[in-house]
Amino acid sequence: MIELLTAVFSVTFFVTVIRASTPLVFATMGGLISDLSGALNVALEGMMLIAALTSVIVSAYAPWWVGVLAGVSAGAMLGAVMALFHLRLKADIILVGFGVNILATGGTVFALSLATGGDKGTSINLPSKAIPRVNLPFLEDVPVLNLLHGHSLLSWFAVLTVVAIWYFLYRTPWGLWLRGVGEYPAAPEAAGVNVRQVRTWALVASGALSGLGGAQLAMFNYVGFTRDMTAGRGFIALGAVLLGARHPIGALFAALLFGVFEALSIVMPNLFSWIPGELIQTIPFVVTVLALILLSIRAQRALKARGVAN
Amino acid sequence: MQRVIEARGITRIYPGGTVANDGVSLVVRPGEVHAVVGENGAGKSTLMKILFGIEKPDAGDLLIDGREARFEGPRDAIDRGVGMVFQHFSLVPSFTVYENVVLGSEPRAGARFDRAAAIERVRHLSETFRLKVDPEAQTRTLPVGQQQRVEILKALYRDAKILILDEPTAVLAPQEVDELFTAIRTLTAEGRTVIFIAHKLPEVLEISDRITVMRAGKTVGEVVAAETSEPQLAAMMVGREVALRVDRSTHDGPRAVTVENLTLKADTGVTLAENLSLNVHEGEIVGLVGVEGNGQAELLEAVAGLRAVSSGDIRLKDTSLTALSVLERRHLGLSSIPEDRLAEGLAVESTTAENLVATRLDDPRFAKRGLLNLRAIRAHATALIDRFSIRVGGPEFKVGTLSGGNMQKVVVARELSEQPVVLLVNQPTRGVDLGATQFIWKSITDARDKGAAVLLSSADLSELLALSDRLVVFYHGRIVAAFRNSEALTAETLGSYMLGADRMDDGQMEAALR
Ligand SMILES: Nc1ncnc2c1ncn2[C@@H]1O[C@H](COP(=O)(O)OP(=O)(O)OP(=O)(O)O)[C@@H](O)[C@H]1O
Ligand SMILES: [Mg+2]
Repeated sequence: MIELLTAVFSVTFFVTVIRASTPLVFATMGGLISDLSGALNVALEGMMLIAALTSVIVSAYAPWWVGVLAGVSAGAMLGAVMALFHLRLKADIILVGFGVNILATGGTVFALSLATGGDKGTSINLPSKAIPRVNLPFLEDVPVLNLLHGHSLLSWFAVLTVVAIWYFLYRTPWGLWLRGVGEYPAAPEAAGVNVRQVRTWALVASGALSGLGGAQLAMFNYVGFTRDMTAGRGFIALGAVLLGARHPIGALFAALLFGVFEALSIVMPNLFSWIPGELIQTIPFVVTVLALILLSIRAQRALKARGVAN
Repeated sequence: MQRVIEARGITRIYPGGTVANDGVSLVVRPGEVHAVVGENGAGKSTLMKILFGIEKPDAGDLLIDGREARFEGPRDAIDRGVGMVFQHFSLVPSFTVYENVVLGSEPRAGARFDRAAAIERVRHLSETFRLKVDPEAQTRTLPVGQQQRVEILKALYRDAKILILDEPTAVLAPQEVDELFTAIRTLTAEGRTVIFIAHKLPEVLEISDRITVMRAGKTVGEVVAAETSEPQLAAMMVGREVALRVDRSTHDGPRAVTVENLTLKADTGVTLAENLSLNVHEGEIVGLVGVEGNGQAELLEAVAGLRAVSSGDIRLKDTSLTALSVLERRHLGLSSIPEDRLAEGLAVESTTAENLVATRLDDPRFAKRGLLNLRAIRAHATALIDRFSIRVGGPEFKVGTLSGGNMQKVVVARELSEQPVVLLVNQPTRGVDLGATQFIWKSITDARDKGAAVLLSSADLSELLALSDRLVVFYHGRIVAAFRNSEALTAETLGSYMLGADRMDDGQMEAALR
């Protein structure tokens, strides 16, 4: 137990938490945007996976930032494809989303073997690049401030993104449109807002954000692509949106919470070798389910306390 | 002759084949209040949606200010100075008033939504046109009357020169109607034009300058308000004479519903109704009188099982209802026609047949061993559509495509398809035409004559006076007066109690509270 506590209260653990949370934060923001626009994007998982592979392959032949941009564009394009099927061809958004996920699982393995010349599991043979780490050596020995040392550039960008999304949603006209479209589309429509356009952009943005998450995953958390490397993060992100009460700041904290559990599942196997590793890896998912159950129990209670539900 | 709007030969056929507009023409002059009247399903809303760019006509021309208009969407109509307040509001519930008003044309400071400017502009508009509403209130917490003001402000904010009001008075209390009319007169005095749809002819005659009458998708004619009369209009609309007469109850049954010392509280803890005691007997209609928000609707909800009771008791015969679920209450013979047919009465995305059978899914006629008997459900629907003369393409048509009045008939048909023991009715004829009003009134009194105990609430005093055998007046969640209905009882008398100017003491009420 003592070992666990010392591990948890170390700077390295904090860095691990931030590293584990960053892809989740991006995916969660992606999920939030589309959820607020009225479309539940279950394809975050597949978008992240495809973006991860895209950035790995592109970064093998171009600077790291081009790799990241390629991942973002891949995500955005998937968002546009979803918009096409859902909004123009009127297909069900959940089905389209699962279509993307299935395409991602199979398609990435196929594309990986093409890109590596036959390797279906990992991209070890590809000299892909990493996102730079922001080192602040002068802070390394200052207590508390040393927590700022050694994070991915994208982690810093993630903080900026959350603030920007909050600003966008609650301080700009377009944020108002987006929320209006998600809650009661007839109202913005009667006010002359192009509802379909708003939804399209929301899906594109949602894809671009998950693309960022995918890039961080395959160019920082791990350098290189492994099949199914997203490992359910897209779904955890959907949970984080709900747990965060569909608000960017709340969702950020929810994503961080899941990051903590992921970090725990990384450090625990070394400390508790008697717990099977598989069991430890289920922790983030168990926590998601528990958190959502608790949340809905609390909501029910609140309603009952006010005498609304019988 | 000047014309702000000229529509010629407008035809609109909905997918599914309903001819909602069939060569309609409409001419509106600048600065006038132009009423459009007609039965439910006559095509009034459709015509208005075409003027506002929500629906596209399949044939016909539309001229605004003498220039041809081809609207691709509401944005185009807004840009040409047309504003519309829908029959069913289009406001985002969680938004504040000012957010709803400016949505789509927000004042900006750079890329930022300038909230302060928005609040200021909305406050200014609300003062100029005397449409009182708090710009910073959350829309969902407002009573319908105020939500409507928000809708009107929305159109005025976009500087609408032509304002279309689709059945604005249907949801208003009498004083609110007067306030609305004042606002409309302010608008026309400014040179704006108002198109006004309503079913109540006295209102139409009071506010409008000219009236276009529609029947079955066609224009029947245009008349000058000052040169026509109620019976003449009614005859034009319906094609026959209509008389709204109701016979008083003759039956005097035993007590059915007892409400005893009932107290109701809102989610926030605010008291909505306090110490209510009243009884309803078999075969009588008790009218709940009061300005909206004084506890009548809440009492009905509590009896229906939609609202928890803080203290006190509600009994049907000798059974206490307070602990029973909605379904259990329904099994005891309770029926309810709720106030908001869209939110509480119907599932608009479901078919008419599904809606008509929705409360009977445990009836072995319609569902056996967990499987629906589609044939029986369809036959049931066909029979009710026929019995209640609901204007709909067929049982499989979605309820959402019906006109407002016909939606209401679906609710009435479902609730009265079997004889209820207790019938709760809230705003039964809101947005319903003359013919259908007559029909719904008759359905309610028929249920009464067969022994139902009826609790009726309505914003329309003439409806309450026409139907009720006894009336109780609510003010701030308490009963302040009670009457046995008679020819001598007038809307003015009720009004003075409704507004809290008068109140009876217990002794005076006793006789009428039996
Ligand atoms: N979206 C739709 N799809 C199919 N049919 C429709 C649709 N909207 C309206 N209708 C049909 O068109 C006809 C005209 O409807 P409309 O709503 O214009 O009538 P209305 O005169 O406004 O009636 P009310 O007084 O009841 O509001 C009705 O028969 C209605 O069922
Ligand atoms: Mg209508």
